[in-house]
Amino acid sequence: MDAFEEKTMKARLPSWLVTPESLLIGLSMAFWFIMGKLDHSFLQWEVQRELSTHIWETALMALPMTLIILTGGIDLSIGSIMSLSAVTAGLLHQAGWPMPMGCLAAMVVGMACGWLNGWFITRFKVHPLMITLASMAAFRGMAEGVSQARPLSGFPESFTRMGNDAWLGLPIAGWIFAGSLAMAVWIMHAHRLGRCIHAIGYNEQAARFSGLRVDRMLLGLYTLSGLSAAMAAILFMARRNTAKADIGAGVELGVITAVVMGGVSIFGGRGTLAGVCLGLFLIHETREFVSWHWSRDELNLLALGVLLILSVVFQQLLGHKRPS
Amino acid sequence: MNPSGSNPKVQQAWFSLLKSRTAGLACFTTLILVWMSLWNPTFLAWSNLRDIAVAAAPVCIISCGLMLVLVLGEIDISVGSMMGVLAAAMGAMASASRWHLPPGVAMVGTLILGVFIGAINGWLVAYLKVPSIMVTLGMLTALRGVTEVIMGGQWITDLPPELRSLGTGTWLGIPICLWVTAAVVLISLWLIHRSTLGRRIYAIGSHPKAARLAGLPIARTQCLVFAWTGFLTAVATLVSVPQLSVVDAGIGVGMELLVVTCVVVGGTAVSGGIGNLSGVLLGALLMTMISTVLIFMKLGENATYWSRAIQGLFILGAILLEPWTRSRKKP
Repeated sequence: MDAFEEKTMKARLPSWLVTPESLLIGLSMAFWFIMGKLDHSFLQWEVQRELSTHIWETALMALPMTLIILTGGIDLSIGSIMSLSAVTAGLLHQAGWPMPMGCLAAMVVGMACGWLNGWFITRFKVHPLMITLASMAAFRGMAEGVSQARPLSGFPESFTRMGNDAWLGLPIAGWIFAGSLAMAVWIMHAHRLGRCIHAIGYNEQAARFSGLRVDRMLLGLYTLSGLSAAMAAILFMARRNTAKADIGAGVELGVITAVVMGGVSIFGGRGTLAGVCLGLFLIHETREFVSWHWSRDELNLLALGVLLILSVVFQQLLGHKRPS
Repeated sequence: MNPSGSNPKVQQAWFSLLKSRTAGLACFTTLILVWMSLWNPTFLAWSNLRDIAVAAAPVCIISCGLMLVLVLGEIDISVGSMMGVLAAAMGAMASASRWHLPPGVAMVGTLILGVFIGAINGWLVAYLKVPSIMVTLGMLTALRGVTEVIMGGQWITDLPPELRSLGTGTWLGIPICLWVTAAVVLISLWLIHRSTLGRRIYAIGSHPKAARLAGLPIARTQCLVFAWTGFLTAVATLVSVPQLSVVDAGIGVGMELLVVTCVVVGGTAVSGGIGNLSGVLLGALLMTMISTVLIFMKLGENATYWSRAIQGLFILGAILLEPWTRSRKKP
């Protein structure tokens, strides 16, 4: 922090008002109000339930992404890991493997990709941004090369049912997310790993000097991120009954936007899972509303990009300054 | 840090030549050339070499800008989408069925738009202190959306002949885009080696804190460099897009990655402060040549499918070779 720092907004507003969570709740309510004015049909329960099937993959990947961004890193390659895992499962299915084995292989591939990311990051001490930017290209290229960019489909019905069935009103993907969320909350609040993740984010060097096994933890987190991408890929395949090398293109943007919007500082150390859930909700509603009301997907790209930049700008104004 | 990558005394030694990224790249490029000419002598035909140079031209032009961004210690992954927007805007301004402006106005408009978008990136990074990866990641997507809004789901097929000649024409027997590239390279060389701005960029990149304590205008420099990259992207759009007969919404997809690969393969340090132009240009040449090589090896469709994987592996390789080719900067 330097002495010339301008007065931040935090100094002028009461502190309970400027937590990201309360702001997001206010924002969601305002958003719902506007949507209700513009388009009544969007807020119907059936519509919302139908549209909610689109969010679970993003949500699932947002959890490890939250932990990674909390440590001060980032993973840009999740979309590409998704495509590589999907293509793996699809090709193995074509080769006559039973579907559960194919899914297992996809998860192994996802974990291997994530582990490679983590290994490069911890072994060579290069910023995760560059490593995952490179592996983003490499994994997607491999998926394209292996599958020759052909769409793979014709999955058994028992598999596609997983993507479309619901249990107690919540789709199966939703239950998987709920389980992962519970685990993430437990890790962050009841396990020492949560403290360690925050510690790494605040000051990695200090964490190292105090004897935390930083490298091992980072390796684990990136592997987890790969696994979640593979699971998202499987859910996506089950929902759409197709696997192609171009699935998951640009998915990292939605995930990162949700996490950053949820108030997780991009410099690491600060942020809560509750905020991320609200961020996910807001991103989801915005995205679906734009498609629903104007039925133009390109506006979505625009909205998402602008939202990401705005939320980071907002974080800066709230006082999460770039450490110099 | 010296822009040439090492100090003059050591430069005389063979040892440093062996370790220098530029020399390594030059050897590698020559090796590929020799190998390809043994494989198929037509690879060295004038027309093929010209095609490679023309394909490399826009990449070289943008790399000149992006290299400075990386030297500053920032990154810009929005250049591909920026190219898409600029191409769409140029097409919309010039085509007879849209705004039907004179070609000269369309050109100047494209250049101004390029500087403007670059300046927005720079403003967000420099004055609002948003990390450049977040700004340009957001821009990468947002600008793609803008492109599609401008195109409105249609293609632009009627670029005026004056604009077309910018991409396809020749002057003194050499394609115009190569002249433009040469001019950009000369200006960049002057910028890096002779101008105050160039010294500032290297100073800020190698030690931001020291640069601030020395009173250098960091924010202004950052903003300028991003705007300059935007300008060069517009130049690259002007010389490369008119080569195609159709402007569609997919122009520039993946360009950001190609350019980052060239810059990093060319020996520019990701952590800032180090980078030389000759390495970057060789990197651009090498990366463009590889796609031609893949075609010459008669890999058929495989060439297009695997090219992205090869690109990724090249970036990874370049990053990982960094500590080997020079003493590492402290984190």
